[in-house]
Amino acid sequence: MNLAQFLTIFISAVFIYNVILSRFLGLCSFVAISKETKPALAMSMAVMFVTTMSSMITWFIYRFLLIPFDLTYLRTISFILVIATFVQFVEMVIRKISPPLYRSFGIYLPLITVNCAVLGVAVLNVDMFFVSSKAVAGSFYYSAFQGICVGLGYTLAMLLMSGIRERLDFCDVPKALKDFPLSFIIASIMSLAFMGFNGFRF
Amino acid sequence: MKKLAQEFLKGIIRENPTFVLVLGLCPTLAVSVSVINGIGMGIAATFVLLGSNIIIALIKNYIPQRIRIPCYIVVIATFVTIAEMTMKAFSPALDRALGIYVPLIVVNCVVLGRAEAYASKNSVANSFFDGLGMGIGFTLALILISALREFLGAGTLLWHPLIKGFEPAFVLGMPSGALLVIGLLLGFFNLLKKRKA
Amino acid sequence: MNKLIVSVSPHLHNKESISKIMWMVILSLIPAGAAGIYIFGIDALWVIILAVVSALATEALIQGFTKKKITIFNGSALLTGLLLGFNLPPKVPFWLPIVGSCFAIAIGKMIFGGLGQNIFNPALVGRVFLLASWPKYMTTFIQPMAAWGGYDAITYATPLALLKEGKLTEKIPYLDLFLGNRGGCIGEVCIVALLAGAIFLFIRGYLSWHIPITYILTTGIFTYVFGPKGLFTGDWLFHILSGGLILGAFFMATDYVTTPLTRKGQIIFGFGCGVLTAVIRLWGGYPEGVSYAILMMNAATPIIDRYTKTRIYGTR
Repeated sequence: MNLAQFLTIFISAVFIYNVILSRFLGLCSFVAISKETKPALAMSMAVMFVTTMSSMITWFIYRFLLIPFDLTYLRTISFILVIATFVQFVEMVIRKISPPLYRSFGIYLPLITVNCAVLGVAVLNVDMFFVSSKAVAGSFYYSAFQGICVGLGYTLAMLLMSGIRERLDFCDVPKALKDFPLSFIIASIMSLAFMGFNGFRF
Repeated sequence: MKKLAQEFLKGIIRENPTFVLVLGLCPTLAVSVSVINGIGMGIAATFVLLGSNIIIALIKNYIPQRIRIPCYIVVIATFVTIAEMTMKAFSPALDRALGIYVPLIVVNCVVLGRAEAYASKNSVANSFFDGLGMGIGFTLALILISALREFLGAGTLLWHPLIKGFEPAFVLGMPSGALLVIGLLLGFFNLLKKRKA
Repeated sequence: MNKLIVSVSPHLHNKESISKIMWMVILSLIPAGAAGIYIFGIDALWVIILAVVSALATEALIQGFTKKKITIFNGSALLTGLLLGFNLPPKVPFWLPIVGSCFAIAIGKMIFGGLGQNIFNPALVGRVFLLASWPKYMTTFIQPMAAWGGYDAITYATPLALLKEGKLTEKIPYLDLFLGNRGGCIGEVCIVALLAGAIFLFIRGYLSWHIPITYILTTGIFTYVFGPKGLFTGDWLFHILSGGLILGAFFMATDYVTTPLTRKGQIIFGFGCGVLTAVIRLWGGYPEGVSYAILMMNAATPIIDRYTKTRIYGTR
C-alpha cells in the first residue's frame, strides 16, 4: 500500500477518467440536475456518500462472500441489491433527520440507485483491485478511496456544469439546442479540456 | 393486432429511447466507438429488455408496491447476468470491448424505465412488443451514432477501412467526441421535430 | 410587460464599442504574426489566411442561415481566426486551419448564442479539437529561419517537447527563446513581438494586468519550486519564455467574455491557469498545458463569478 497509488487514484478518478466526462457514468442525473447549483451540490454530496459507503460494503461482500463460495458471477446482482438497500436506508434516515432536505431531493434520491456511477465504481474496484480472485494488498483502502474520489469527480463536474448552465439561462441559445443538446456539447468541450491531464505521471 | 404493431413501432421513432426519451445514455456513449460494438450492446440490451418486460408483466400483480423497484432490479439483474455469461462464453472479444457496460445494463434507464412505466401496467403481449420496439429503437440509435463515430473518427466501418487518404478525426473516438455527436444529433432531431410541428 | 433587459457580462458602459476593442487587439497582434511569418516562411502566412477566412465565412454562413444580423465586420470572428492561426504549427495540411476555424466559430461561439455569450475561448476550443483529432499534424514543427538560410525546413522539436522527452541536453539560449529562434506555433514564438503588442494594449487601457501577471508569476514560481533536481531548482525563465504561455496569458486568458468580472475573480483565474499549466508541463503527458489550463478555468469562471460577486450596496 503506497502513497503514490492513492495519488494516482485521486488524479485518475477526479480528472483523467472523470466519472461523468470520461466514463459517461451518471449522465442522466448530470443532465437533469445540473441546471442549478444548490440542488446540484446537494445531489453530489448524496452521491459521494453513497459511492463511498457502497464501495466499502460491496468490497466486503465480494471478499468474504462471493470469492470464498465461488459465486463471483453473482457480483452484478448482489452489488445492485446492496446499493438499492443502502439508498433506501439513506432515504429513510434523511426523511427522519431532515424532512425539508428529503422533500428538496424529491424523486432524485431513489434515482441514485440507478446512477451508473455507483454500480460502476463498485465494479471498477473489483476489476482494479482484485487479481485472479485474490485481493491486492491494501485493496480495501484503495476501493474506499476510489469511492470517495469518484464522488469528488462527480461533484466537480456538477459544480462546473451548474455554474455554466445558470449563466446560459441569460443567453440567446438556438432553440433546437436548448437544454439537453447544449449540455452535451458543453460536456464535450469540458471533456476536451480535461484531456490535458492525460498521461499523468508522478 | 394493430395495437401491438403500434406498441412496437413507437419505440423506434416517436418514442425512441435515445433521441426522444433521452434514456440509457451511459452505455450509448461509451460503446458507440464502432458499429460492431454498438450492435453487440444493442442485442444484449434488447434481450434483457424483452426478458424483464415479460417477467415483470407476468408477476406484476404479486409485487408489493413499496419494494417494487428492488424487485424489478432483481429480475433485470438476473437477465443481465445471463447475457453477461453468454457473452463471455461465445464472444470474449466483444465482452472485453464492452467492459463494465454489460453489467451496467442493470441500471440502464431504458430497461428500468420500461419496467416501471409500462410492463408493470400492461399485459404480457403488449409488454413484449414494447420491449422489442424499444430494444430495436435503442439498437438503431446505437448503430447511427457508432457509424458516425467510427467513420469520422477512425475511417472504418464495421472495422473495414473505407476511403483512401481520408484523415479521420480521432477525437470522435474519445469521450469528448461521443458527447459532441450525441449533442449535435439531439439538436438535429429537435429541429426536425419543430419543423414537423 | 416588464421592460427589464437581462443580459450576460461583459456590461461595457464606456464609449468604446466592442468593435473598436477587437480591432485594437488585432492590431496589437500584427507584430507577432509578422514575426511568425518571417521566422517560418510563407507557409505560416497561408495558415493564418486560411484560418481567418474560414472563421469569417463560418460566422457569415451561420448568421445568414439563422436569419440573424451578419456581424463579421466587428472583428470578433477575425480575431478568433487569427488567434487560432497563431496557435497552429507552420506546416499543416491546408484543410486543418479550415476545419479548426469552422469548429471554433460554430461550436466554440455560435451555439452559445454568439458574441458575448460563449463560455469557452473559441480559438482554444478549435485548437484543442484539432489537437485531439489530428495529433500528428498538430505536433509536427519546423526549424525556424530555415528559408533565410536557403535550406528546406526540417522537422524540429519545440523546447518544451524536448524537455518532456528528457532530450534537452544543452541549454537553449534565452535570447533565442525571446526572439523566436525556436520551434513552435506561428504566433507563440516571438516573445518580444507579443510583449510589444501587450504593452500597446496596456497603454491604451484595453488590457488589465491582473490575469496575465498573476498567470505568468504563478507558473514561474511553481516551476521554480518544483525543479527537476529538487526543490527550488527550476528554470523559471525557460518556462516563462517557452511554449504558448506569453501568447496565452496576454491574449487568450484575458478575453473579456470568458473570464471573471471582478478583480478578485480575475486573480483566482490567473492563479488557477498558472497552477494547471505548471502541473501539466511538469507531470502531465503533454509538453504544453496552456490551452487546457485556460479552457478549464473558462469552465470554472461562472462558479468563480458566483462566489466573488461584489456586494450589493446595503446588503450583508
